[in-house]
Amino acid sequence: MAELNETIHQTVRLRIMAALVTLAPDEEVEFTYLRDLLEVTDGNLGAHLRKLEEAGYIRINKAFVERKPRSYVSATADGRKVFAEHVAALESILKRK
Amino acid sequence: MNISPTEAEEALTAIQAMMQKTRRAISSSGAYKFLILWGTIWMIGFLGSQFLPKEIANYVWIGLDILGGILSAVIGVRMKRGVRTSAPTASGKRIGIFWLLLFFYCFAAVCVAWPVDGKQFAMFIILFVTVGWIAMGLLLSFASVWWGLALLGLSLFSYFLLNDYFYFIMAFVGGGGMIALGIYVRNRW
Repeated sequence: MAELNETIHQTVRLRIMAALVTLAPDEEVEFTYLRDLLEVTDGNLGAHLRKLEEAGYIRINKAFVERKPRSYVSATADGRKVFAEHVAALESILKRK
Repeated sequence: MNISPTEAEEALTAIQAMMQKTRRAISSSGAYKFLILWGTIWMIGFLGSQFLPKEIANYVWIGLDILGGILSAVIGVRMKRGVRTSAPTASGKRIGIFWLLLFFYCFAAVCVAWPVDGKQFAMFIILFVTVGWIAMGLLLSFASVWWGLALLGLSLFSYFLLNDYFYFIMAFVGGGGMIALGIYVRNRW
């Protein structure tokens, strides 16, 4: 049976993962684009991304685009799996209601 | 970890809302812009063909196509600006280059076939625009492929079977339909 994941369940991290799993597996989103999408501050997003990265659910690639440093974020295969399990666990709680 | 059904429902609602917002912002962000742009160009161009002398109407079309090509390239480059992919076909720059090349081919095809009358000229443009539209649909959002095919079918039907009303149909049904669809995609996707 699917289990809830405490790391992912926090509101901002849940929204981060929802946004990232919506992208194709070979796509990654730029940090500021994700920040605007989620309507959070740089610091808030950075802190939550670190937690998700430490858990191995996301990957952060740093690159130079037109000589400017950019960070690109994507969900890992493990992150996608754990997120799907978390959603399944939420749905099973609703079914038991 | 235990949560109540109400919390679970709230979390699922938040997930669905975020996924929809992401799809709108990233996956379909450019589709409605192309539709509104080309709907407006069609409406102006075909009304010009209906009411202006042929020579002037042709120049209006050339000007509109150049403007449309440049704006499409700009939209293509700006699209998915915050997202990058390892799949080269989906990059914004290549989409922009694709539209520029398509309009070069359209211009070349018209030059090769010249002289053409106003309706033939318009059909050349329609054929190339719908090819571009369908290609964008295959790359970005498959649902819009059907709208592109429908517009292509309508254009051919009007050209061959309702030739006297061709410009009016293209201006109001073709152009207006594209604008309406663009607004619908922007608000409801």
